[in-house]
Amino acid sequence: MDDFDDTFSGGVFHADIADGRAGASIDCGVSALSAVTTTGARFELRYDACTVRIGGASGRMVFCRSLDQSLTIFCEQKGFAAALQQAAGGLLDEGLAQSKSELRGANARSRNLMFGLCLGCVVLLVAGYFALMAAGRAALAAAPPSIDEKIGELAIEQMDLKGSVVEDPAIVAPLEALVARLAATDPDDPFSYTLTVVDADITNAFALPGGQIAIYTGLLELADSPEQIAGVLGHEIAHVTERHGMHGIARSLGLVVAIQFLVGDAGGLVAVAAEFGRFAAENAYSRDQEADSDRLGVERLHAAGIDPRGLAGFFELLERETASDVDIPSWMSTHPDHAARIAAITTQAQRFSNQTYTPAIPTADWDALKAALSPTVTTPSPPEETSDGRDNR
Amino acid sequence: MDVTIADRPSFATIRAQLAPGESIVAEADAMASMDAGIESSCRFNGGFFPAIMRRVFGKESLFVNEFTAERAGQLVLTQALPGDIECITLKGNSLYLQPGAFIACEPTVKLSLGWAGFASWMGSEGLFRLKVSGTGRIWFGAYGGIFAREVTDEYVVDTGHLVGYEPGISLKVGMAGGIFSSFFGGEGLVTRVRGPGRIYMQSRSFDGLVAWTNSHLY
Repeated sequence: MDDFDDTFSGGVFHADIADGRAGASIDCGVSALSAVTTTGARFELRYDACTVRIGGASGRMVFCRSLDQSLTIFCEQKGFAAALQQAAGGLLDEGLAQSKSELRGANARSRNLMFGLCLGCVVLLVAGYFALMAAGRAALAAAPPSIDEKIGELAIEQMDLKGSVVEDPAIVAPLEALVARLAATDPDDPFSYTLTVVDADITNAFALPGGQIAIYTGLLELADSPEQIAGVLGHEIAHVTERHGMHGIARSLGLVVAIQFLVGDAGGLVAVAAEFGRFAAENAYSRDQEADSDRLGVERLHAAGIDPRGLAGFFELLERETASDVDIPSWMSTHPDHAARIAAITTQAQRFSNQTYTPAIPTADWDALKAALSPTVTTPSPPEETSDGRDNR
Repeated sequence: MDVTIADRPSFATIRAQLAPGESIVAEADAMASMDAGIESSCRFNGGFFPAIMRRVFGKESLFVNEFTAERAGQLVLTQALPGDIECITLKGNSLYLQPGAFIACEPTVKLSLGWAGFASWMGSEGLFRLKVSGTGRIWFGAYGGIFAREVTDEYVVDTGHLVGYEPGISLKVGMAGGIFSSFFGGEGLVTRVRGPGRIYMQSRSFDGLVAWTNSHLY
């Protein structure tokens, strides 16, 4: 029998071999396959008396079986199927083609199944994330305002305010009166407001859930008019009424739970990644919240009979103050850029029909406040972030 | 080398009587005891990167130990799980083993790691599989008893019971029946194996033990 040059490594199943199987070297002869086992036993399988199928663990194993299934010669070496097809001279073409077709179909089904499973996992994860967020929002909507107040009280007790609390009535009294005037515009407001004036050269103010509002003497010193202070306080009150702080807490908790669900642990690098993701997510959300607070603050100022353009005036001051700062892209900032906010506030203020306003703080009180500030604050500073990492103007 | 398997089937151990110069390769931590005349040397399980692959994906040890007899002596090897140990003599053929099943082999046997596919993974058999090939004896263990079956067409094995199979065997994961009977009947997913070839199964499933234990914890 003339053999082709190619010799392949494979195996044989036959009852004459101990244990019924052995590795073998396989030759594709002119009329038959021949296999010689590692123990020297030789087996032949004529092409016209065998069936062929491709399969096995790798999906590339070629099985050649005698018609009575007593002898099987198999091989998964690359090139064996082509050599077998050529040597058999067309006798095994049909069986090989059918087997390859079945294999392609099975592979395609397997790929589709995996794609479907992966897609299903992604959909489940995304749906799970939004379900968590929705559940957080629903829980927040059902939570009574007393929870906001408790959280706000605990938070301000634990915060490092970066300065002592100002108790000078010349400073505190007119500001508390201003807060009360702003709060009185909404009789349905469930929150009561507590103002804390902090003696520090920081141009900032912030609101905590439940009505805790803090304002820094650095900001008071920078302001040119009481309307600017009223604008800042109106903006902060809107953060409280819209429960923005509580939304932030719910989002943060939801993200942590979602990440823990995904990776099983939020430790190490994952925690850093989670923190960065949370920072970016919160910023995107905060920009909307800031715009909302500007809009609601302007409405409240107008309702209290205070010129709402004071808020825009304060942002103009800030813009001048921060002009020399490094140019930070607006999306990285906690707040929308000043120019956009000034334009939005001015446009909104122009739409009010009745624009008869009274001073936010009587002139004598304002002068006394500014005079009381002078000994404590020397130089206005650029805006800084508060200890909770948020600039809440 | 005279090797016997003792204490079968529940707590089987391999007792290898080594003549001077004879060696046996064993999974790390498989040695239970040995005579002082047997030297142990540690090496990566088939080279650095293959060893890493086997450790990460095949749940095998990073290292294997080669025990060589300086003087004649006995070496006792065992496995962590209670169960039987089987010996197979390779004659140029190959066998795939599920992660953790391999215990020992003669130095002429080649160990390698191959991609098992998602079907194997979904059937709780791992994404990769250990392939033993060449000539010589190998020993592998299982949880419970080990039994073999020649598969000529198709055969159904519950996930977690398949220990090893020849390369001629293809795996396909599917449901035991319809959706309702598969999940509420407790069978869930099963592995459909197709021959020709031989498969080795274990009479107990470790996943089954874990589930049973968990159900009694609280």
